[in-house]
This record gives sequence, C-alpha cells and structure tokens, in this order.
Amino acid sequence: MSADTPAEAGPGSPSNGPGPRGSGPRGAAPRGANPAVDGAKLVRERRLNNAKKNWALFRSDVPALIGAVVLLFFVVIAVAAPLIAPATMLDVTKQLDVPRYAPPSLDHPLGTDDLGREMWVRILWGARVSILVGVAATVMSMVIGTIMGLAAGHFTGLFGGIIMRLIDFFIVLPSLLLAIVLSSVLERGVFTIVVAIGLTSWASTARIVRSQTLSVESRLYIERARILGAGHRHILFRHLLPAVMPLVLANTTLTVGGAIIAESTLSFLGLGDTSKESWGTILKNSMDVSAATSGYWWYVLTPGIAILLVVLAFTMVGRAFEAIINPALRSR
Amino acid sequence: MTDLQFEDVSITYRSSSTRGDVVAVENVSLDLPAGATLGIAGESGSGKSTLIMSALRLLPKSARLDGRVLLGGQDVRELSFGQIRAVRWAQASIVFQGALHSLNPVREVGQQIIEALEHHSKGTWTTPQKRQDRMFELLAEVNLEAAKSSAYPHELSGGQKQRIMIAMALACEPDIIIADEPTTALDVIVQKQILTGLARLVAERGISLLMISHDLAVLSAVCADLAIMRDGRLVEFGPSDEVCLAPREDYTKQLAGAFPQIGDPESRLRPKTQRPAEVARAEPFTMTDEVVLEAKDLSVSFDTRRGRERAVRGVDLVLRKAEILAVVGQSGSGKTTLARSLLGLQEVEEGSQRSFAGKPLPRKAKALRTFRRQVQMILQDPAGSLNPKRSVYEAVVEGLRVQGIRDREYERVVGALEAAELTPAEDYLESIPQELSGGQRQRVVIAGALALDPQVLIADEPVASLDASVRGEILSLFLALKKNLGMSALIITHDLGLAWNIADTVAVMKSGEIVEYGEVDRVLSDPQHEYTQELLAAVPRLGSQSLVRNE
Repeated sequence: MSADTPAEAGPGSPSNGPGPRGSGPRGAAPRGANPAVDGAKLVRERRLNNAKKNWALFRSDVPALIGAVVLLFFVVIAVAAPLIAPATMLDVTKQLDVPRYAPPSLDHPLGTDDLGREMWVRILWGARVSILVGVAATVMSMVIGTIMGLAAGHFTGLFGGIIMRLIDFFIVLPSLLLAIVLSSVLERGVFTIVVAIGLTSWASTARIVRSQTLSVESRLYIERARILGAGHRHILFRHLLPAVMPLVLANTTLTVGGAIIAESTLSFLGLGDTSKESWGTILKNSMDVSAATSGYWWYVLTPGIAILLVVLAFTMVGRAFEAIINPALRSR
Repeated sequence: MTDLQFEDVSITYRSSSTRGDVVAVENVSLDLPAGATLGIAGESGSGKSTLIMSALRLLPKSARLDGRVLLGGQDVRELSFGQIRAVRWAQASIVFQGALHSLNPVREVGQQIIEALEHHSKGTWTTPQKRQDRMFELLAEVNLEAAKSSAYPHELSGGQKQRIMIAMALACEPDIIIADEPTTALDVIVQKQILTGLARLVAERGISLLMISHDLAVLSAVCADLAIMRDGRLVEFGPSDEVCLAPREDYTKQLAGAFPQIGDPESRLRPKTQRPAEVARAEPFTMTDEVVLEAKDLSVSFDTRRGRERAVRGVDLVLRKAEILAVVGQSGSGKTTLARSLLGLQEVEEGSQRSFAGKPLPRKAKALRTFRRQVQMILQDPAGSLNPKRSVYEAVVEGLRVQGIRDREYERVVGALEAAELTPAEDYLESIPQELSGGQRQRVVIAGALALDPQVLIADEPVASLDASVRGEILSLFLALKKNLGMSALIITHDLGLAWNIADTVAVMKSGEIVEYGEVDRVLSDPQHEYTQELLAAVPRLGSQSLVRNE
C-alpha cells in the first residue's frame, strides 16, 4: 500500500510530474481526475450539507414550526396590508357610518375603536411598524453588541479595558430612561425609535459575545493561526466571528421580542410616531379612552394578544436555534 | 483476601445513533488471584477501561454486561446497592485516569481523603480524630508531607495529585487496587516515583493490583502477569517477561516495539511502524553544517504572583539544515516556552539573541509573518489545534490564505496532505476533525504547516497524545520529511525514546537551562551530566519488573 504514496510529492518539489497532483497515479480518486474541482466548491458543498442537517433538526421541533408559521403569518399580513385593507379604511373621516365601540361580531370581526375604525385593520397596519422596528432595532443592537463584544474579548490591555468599561456603562444605564430621553430629543419617527432601542439594548449581547470570544480565544487553533502568521483581522473574522455567530443568531430571535415590547412601551408613552399605526399606539389610544374600565375589552386585548403571539413565536424559533447550536440543550 | 474473576465477560453499549450497539468487550476471561499483579495493555478503544469499570459496577446505564464478574466469589451484578457500596473502596478501590479531573478543585485534598473514610469506614475509623490520624498516616505512606493535606488540588503538581489519588485508594485498606493509566500524563521521573511507590505498597501489604496502560514497558515494570487487549478481545495473556520479550502474537510484537529501548541500535533512527513513510530521494538529505535557526543567551521571564520567574535561562541552541534536534526535559523545565520564543510568540529578555538564516528575528508584524512562512510550529494537542467547524481543506489552506499565496491553491493543499502521508488526500478534504482519528488529525496539522513550505518545523510533544502504533507512523514521517525535503526540525518531548528514534542531536533541559547538549548517540549512550543519567534510569524497560527490582 505504501508503495504508491510517494512522500516526495511534497510542496518542496512543486513541479515534478505533469498535471495537478490530484490526478495522480491512484485510480481510486475520481474527484481528483476532474480538474474543475477546487477547494472552494468542496467547502460550499459541505456548508450546504450542514444547512440541510440543521433544517431537518428544526423541522422536527414542533413548537419552532408553530412559531415559524405564526411569524410568517404576521409578516405576510404586514407586507400585504395595503392590498388587504386599503389605507382609506384607517381614515377617520370615511368611517362616519360605522358604529363606534362595536364589540366583535360578524360585521366587525375584532370590533371597532373610538373613531369607528376596524380593529383588524389597525392590527394589520400596526404590524408593519411593530415588526419593522422590532427587527431593525434588534439588528442594530446585535451589530453593535457583536463588534464591541469581539473587540473586548480579543484585544487585551488598555484598548480592551476601555471597551469593557463602555459596555459596563451601558449595562448600568437604565435603558428605558435613555430611550425616552433619546426619542424626545431626536426628531419623531420610526427611525428614532429604532435608534433609541438599538442603542440601549446592545450591552448584554456584548457581554455574552465577549465571554464566548474569550473561551474560543484560548483554543489551540487560534494559537495555530498565529503560528501560520495570521494577524488580528484573520483571527477576528475567520475564527472568532464564525464561532460567536450562532450564539448571536439565537440571541437575535430572543431579543426581537424584547424590542417589539420596547417599541410598544415607547409608543404607549406617546413617544412614537403618532402619525403611524403601531400596536403600542393602539394600546395608548385604548388607554386614552379608558377602554379597559369602560368594558371595551377588545380594544385592549387585540393589540396585546398580537404582541404576545409575535414575541412568543420569536422565542420558540429562537429556542430551536439554540438547541441546534448547543446539542446539550436538546434533551432538556 | 479477595479474588477478582472475569468469566466470559462481554459488554455492549446501547447506542441510539446509526452505528447501532457497540461491543466494547467480547468474551474476556481473566483471573486476578489475591496478591497477584496483573497489567492490561491496549490502545484506545480496546475496551480495557470498560472491562475494569465493570469490576465495581461503575458502568453507565447504557452498558449491558454478559458473563460474570466475580469479586470474592460473589457475582457483582447480584449485589444490592448497599452491598456494592460496602465493596467499593473497602474491598476494591480505583485510581482513576487523570488525577487532575478526579479531585474536587474547591476542597482541600486531606478532606477528600477523609471523605472516603467517612463513607466506607468499617467501624475502624469512627471518630473524626481517628480519621484525621489515618489521613496523615496515608500521606506518609505515599511520601507526602502532612502539610500537603491542607493544599487545594491546583497547588499540587501532577505527580503529587496522583499520589493523593493513590492515598485515597489505600484509605480503607482494600484487597484490590485498580489503576487506570495512573502515570500517563506524567514525565519519566515522576512516573518512576509513582510506580515504585505503588509496587512497594502492593508488595508490603499483599494487595492485588490490576493496572491498565497503553505502554507495555510501564506495565511490565510493575506487574507479574500481562494481558493484551485489542478491539475488546483478549489477544495474549501470560507472565510479563514472556509476553514482553518473547511475544507470540504479531499485535503484541507491534506494541512491544512501539516504545524503543534506548541504546538498542536496531531502533536508532528507525521508529518501528507497520506503515513507514516513504523516502523517495535517491540521496536523502543528511545533517549539514549550514545554520538555520540560532539562539544565543536566550532568557524568558514571566510575572507571577510570587514575583518574576525565569522560565528559560541563558540557552544557546543551534539548528542546522536537515537536522532533527530533540529538546528533552521534565514538565515545567521551560521547553515549550523556549519553542514559543524561538518562533517570536513570546517576549524575551534584553540581551537574548535569536536569529534565522543569519539575520536577527524580525519584530514588526509584517516581517514576522514572512518569517513564519519559514518556521512553522506544531502544537501539543492535534485535536485542539483544528477548528472543529472547518474541513481538512480549510485547515490546510488557512496558512496559504494568511500568507497571501494565491496560485495553485488546490495542488498545494493536496501536495501537503500527501507529504504528510494522508493518502489519498482527496478523500479527506471534506472531513471535519471529529471524523478523523488522532493520528490523522496530527497529519492534517503537519500538512497545514508543510503547505507553507517551511525550512524549520518546531513540534511540541507531537506524539504524546497518540496511540503507540500511530506514534511510530508520525515519527517515521518526521524522518522522511527531513530526508526528502531537507527540513530541519526541533522536537520538544519528555520522551527520551523519541530522541533515540529520530533525532540527530539532543538537548537536555532542566529548570530552564540546558545541562547537556550533543549528538544523540553520545549523550544517550554515555551521559555525562547526572540529570541525564537520572532521566535515562527512569525510563521503564520491558520485562522483569525492572523499576521495582532496581530500586
């Protein structure tokens, strides 16, 4: 056997024999015979296989599938809102013949509000802002958190110390207070809410990313990369980032829920964009007319249940992601 | 006195994975009469640990045991929980593999010995005072000062921790001691201390000893009988000298030959292996006078809690082209620090000189990167040196990408893998590290270094974590790389046999200083420094309970 494994074919003698070594004397190497095969393709194939395996795991998780279906439902109605219910249905001046405070019935599936608008139309349009803000704020918080966490974990000395103190500063800052200040100082609008939530919620992510970075940083393969001559950029983006990414993704789905609730809180406090529907705005309107004490339960419950459903769905999907990344959680 | 008998024992692990049930032990019958010493040798996966765990019913729930395990004539399976609890430690006790993980890190070791007494005392050590006295007695028996009883595990060295484990095993005066690889992580000198201590206790008290190890020499140094296991089956059984010196089975010969006898000309520059690496050059490279890597007056210090500690003190070292230099020493002698500083991974003290090909080592990041193209290092643990999420191809290509070598990437990777004798290379490109054996992983790590076409390879304990048969393969690969490519290598090891197997020159290190440095034949055949002599004497030799008798 060892006769046809020439050790001479090493990198020290790069040009002995014609053609690539892949098409060497062994007949048992069909892939090597094909010169089109290159390393990058192999890597892509393996990643695809991994993705397939993870998808199979995800599919076998019933709560995650239910969560995914609920999410899909809300995303579809949010995107298709203008088609399902034209914007005129929200115009108060067009709703003069509709009864106000109508309880849910066949004519008014989710009831109507104090201005005669259909609740289901408001939920539909509110989903656009609520989900957009939830996702956008989460993405912002994740990007900041990952960058800061990686930097704090990877760089030692003064630089790492300064970043760590910055993270600590944002952790101890009362985030709701900061969000209220930001959204009252900045111009009113959806973007402001996104910034306010994003800027106040990244610190805990950074902490998690940092601790994961520290544990990966001490692995031998990081040392090996250094020996191969790798600099900070290679180690940060080729080893550390892929290693913390699954954690960040799992954290993302769990944070979206929090961000949606934060958006509702800010809108409820009247700090959102009052010209746009959002579930928090609906809740605020319901409080303005004392819906809960006047017995208009549908006015309070519908936006509340919508928030609950979306947050729950994100959490269920997030838990499934976590279980895929961390097999030890599966049996729990 | 208690006998231990394994009667036609088979142990199967139920597994829900696609592999189905795994048979770990198959139809093994062994006898350990009272007062006997028996060694079981085998490579990882041979089922030897599983077998001895069954003696005290310590197997996980997923294991099914067929046949009978008799302890003092009683079937272990038929004992009630209370009875087995009484048997554990009082009749038979275990020295577990890896003392580091078997001791509770947050309790004083003395308390941990007392714990064993509290749980299993047979009415002898009934009061705290008696238990305390017994604990000091035990520490004295394993040659530890009484003051060590209030130490925490992390404050003790590996050998001291192992002695605590042995003291714990002796605590309740058992009839049988079962030792699972008791010296694997230790260097030769500490290994000798532990083995002689263990053998003395066994002889004095008539305890029977069941010891398992992958190293035949270690077993034959202590045990009178030897059993060889492979893939769950018993391959050979007999008196230790007979099995070691006149083995009947091929597999036993292979195991016995894996660790060379220093001074034996047959194994000099010829590591024994079933799969030797091919030397393809008509005129293989041999050691030249051209100096590649040189260190002069190299010193390294660390800041520790107890102030500044000097790990390396004024070391002079020269590595020539196509030379294999082995740096030998006990753990803690500063070998690894020396290697890291030669590579520029470690800050050195003022006045230390390091040069490569006549030029001083660069300090700037970019120049250091180019330098590392020439000098590569292989880390101690192949399993940890590979990113578990990346395929073999990605692992090997990493160096090329880092160094900005873009042309003929695929050919270079395949070439490096074949130079590391991982063939056919194409079959392994997509594998991820978990799918490979220890030896294959080490080859991937070596290939990753070879892909850069370096002139010098520094290897830190390249075979310490590998099985005996794989050890020979990897060592012969190092020799082939030298002969085929003219590569120089600096190999760090605590294993003198490795130096005898492949090195041209050897440097013996003690407490950060090189005490003896010269040609392997001269240093190992005729050692001048007493430390070298001590190291050589501590290496266990095959047969005749050598360590015990020489004492």
